[in-house]
Amino acid sequence: MSDCHTAPPRVSRRPATGGADARLIALAGQPNMGKSTLFNILTGLNQHVGNWPGKTIERREGDFAYKGHPYRMVDLPGTYSLTANSPEEVIAREFILRENPSLVVAIVSAANLERSLYLVSELVCLPVPLVVALNMMDVADQEGISVSAKILESALGVPVVPMTATRATGVNELMEAIEQVLAGKCPVVPCRPEVRADHRLVMEEITRQIDSHVPLPYPPEWVALKLLEGDSEIAHTMQTALPSCNWEAVQAILLQHDDALLAVASGRYEWIGQILQVAVERPKMGQISLTERLDRWAAHPIWGLLILAGILGLVFWITFKIGAPVQNWLSVEVVARLATLARLALAGTPAWLSGLVANGLLGGVGAVITFLPIMVIFFATFAFLEDVGYMARAAYVMDNLMHLMGLHGKSFLPLFLGFGCNVPSIMGTRVVDSRPGRLLTILIAPLVPCTARLAVVAFLAPAFFGSNALYVSWGLVLLSMFMLVLSGTLLSKIIFKGQRSAFIMEMPLYHLPNARTIGLLVWQRSMSFTKKAGTKILAMALVIWALSVLPGGELNTSYLAQFGKLIEPIGKLMGMDWRLTVALIASFPAKENAIAALGVLFGSSPQGGLTQMLTASYSTASALSFLVVTMLFIPCMATVAVIRQETGSWRWTLLNIVMMLTLSFIAGISVYHLAVLLRLS
Amino acid sequence: MMLEQLMAEIRAGGTLETGTLAVRLGTSPQMVDAMLEHLRLGGYIQAYSNCGDVCQGCSLKSSCGRDEKAGTIRLWQSSGK
Repeated sequence: MSDCHTAPPRVSRRPATGGADARLIALAGQPNMGKSTLFNILTGLNQHVGNWPGKTIERREGDFAYKGHPYRMVDLPGTYSLTANSPEEVIAREFILRENPSLVVAIVSAANLERSLYLVSELVCLPVPLVVALNMMDVADQEGISVSAKILESALGVPVVPMTATRATGVNELMEAIEQVLAGKCPVVPCRPEVRADHRLVMEEITRQIDSHVPLPYPPEWVALKLLEGDSEIAHTMQTALPSCNWEAVQAILLQHDDALLAVASGRYEWIGQILQVAVERPKMGQISLTERLDRWAAHPIWGLLILAGILGLVFWITFKIGAPVQNWLSVEVVARLATLARLALAGTPAWLSGLVANGLLGGVGAVITFLPIMVIFFATFAFLEDVGYMARAAYVMDNLMHLMGLHGKSFLPLFLGFGCNVPSIMGTRVVDSRPGRLLTILIAPLVPCTARLAVVAFLAPAFFGSNALYVSWGLVLLSMFMLVLSGTLLSKIIFKGQRSAFIMEMPLYHLPNARTIGLLVWQRSMSFTKKAGTKILAMALVIWALSVLPGGELNTSYLAQFGKLIEPIGKLMGMDWRLTVALIASFPAKENAIAALGVLFGSSPQGGLTQMLTASYSTASALSFLVVTMLFIPCMATVAVIRQETGSWRWTLLNIVMMLTLSFIAGISVYHLAVLLRLS
Repeated sequence: MMLEQLMAEIRAGGTLETGTLAVRLGTSPQMVDAMLEHLRLGGYIQAYSNCGDVCQGCSLKSSCGRDEKAGTIRLWQSSGK
């Protein structure tokens, strides 16, 4: 029976008469197992399509003949089990039990027996002959899965016929097996899943209570099993059928053994596991074994975190080694020269026009555009990490850390998204069911450093710290993550009081990166960034420029300077002058505006670009403080709007702003004064 | 006991990974996958095949597509049942 033949099926499609002499065959299987394909092969055009009585679920049946024997086949709805979880499952089992078919054909997938044998584990318990159609042998072959139909047949105790319905192979063998079983030439002695010893006694007790009251055609043992499984339909039937004292006794037993629900299903999976152990061979693929080997380190709770920190460091190293020199070249050789040329070209025009082009346009947007190479390298390295499958591990080890700190597990997905952008991260908190849990996640999500924040750091760190930029950037990311864990832990202790819930994930296999996928991601993100630079950042740069020249054309007496000096005392606490303070505030509409604002305020000169100007203007302590505050400062305007939308409350939105402001100011003040103490100023 | 052990792991909370779960339960990742599907159908856990409108504009959207074989991440969450 295990040989596949490619001969066309020898069935003949009878006129759709059926008739009382026709052998009734029920075709059962889970969805997408090829049930309809087999049904169509056997019945051809002789099909009747209607609805199941009282349901809107399609009922298909058809007639055919094989070796002169008439058959009527009923295509049962696709079901995962025979427990009343859905109307389809009720229909399938009621048909098998009430219509008394001559035989049931269970169609399973050879490529996914772990899942598809569950229905078989239920069918073997019913008083009806069973034949298993082991479909999708071609898919199993392609995936390198070797299934022995002979061993499976011995283990199940019912005929197993390998087939590939899409190619019509194995259909004759299936019909032959059906003929043999119906002729009594092939004994069917199904091996049924065992009920665990402790639950067997319970089942026997329930069977004793219901035995003489079970309505036909249900087998009492099967009913007892279904009651243990918590089947609502059977419970309702038995409540009606049983005398009240028996029903109360049954209910009392079920209440005492509410764990039986999972125990019965567990027994079936044990049964499936034992069968597959002998009947299925999955070759250990090199890719899987490589993934396992790598994950011993990459997904390890401690090593995984160190590797993540190392990879982040490597990303910054690549960025600074390749991106920073290109950015510097663009800044000095392109933007600064263009600004000089613009001033020369506009020498005869009003001063405001020359200022607008040289300082507003080129100083602001030009500065932002110069860090496109840095962004491209960032996007490329993160796209590479995503494409090889590493980002899932990064999220996994981070989430493990948060669990160790007592943070709620359901926050995983939103926080994972936050590395890209905080906006979808906040929206992603919809996966968190409880209101407090969701609010907590929303409050801490902006602490995940988004690409824009990381890019600002990647631009400014080399300007301020030269060769030490790598360590500073790396430390800033770690500081953000530390603040995230710290805030999460504190808030979790207050709101959740140690409650833990589970999050299960299946990580993708590591695989070779696809250049096209990475290229597309880099292209899309770069285009998105360029569009932002040409719209929001341009608008903000022009506003800042206008405020920096009005009313008299002098920066030091401008509205911006007046505003900056008004808030300068707060900045001074963190070692920042009014220009850095204004740049920080300008980052509210979009994080990149911090660079645009500095570009406008410092302008471009023939002596060098913005980076050179910044290096010359600020002490290490002030620069460090500015970067720390930038990393922890209130999120961008879009994120704040989404926080308002998702919390539905200005109170929580303001709380987030206050929390982020407090965190960033405390961190900024501490870092600045510590740096001064360490004589880094 | 496999399904009960899996449920016990889920009830204990924390972030679980299917490969690690398979090792802990002494079975294959495919069996863990089948049992997770069983628990999902029984309402014990919820699956996230995609993030719906939440993903609009997300740079990591492509990482979460359940139907894509390579580079995907499949997620389930305890429903508290």
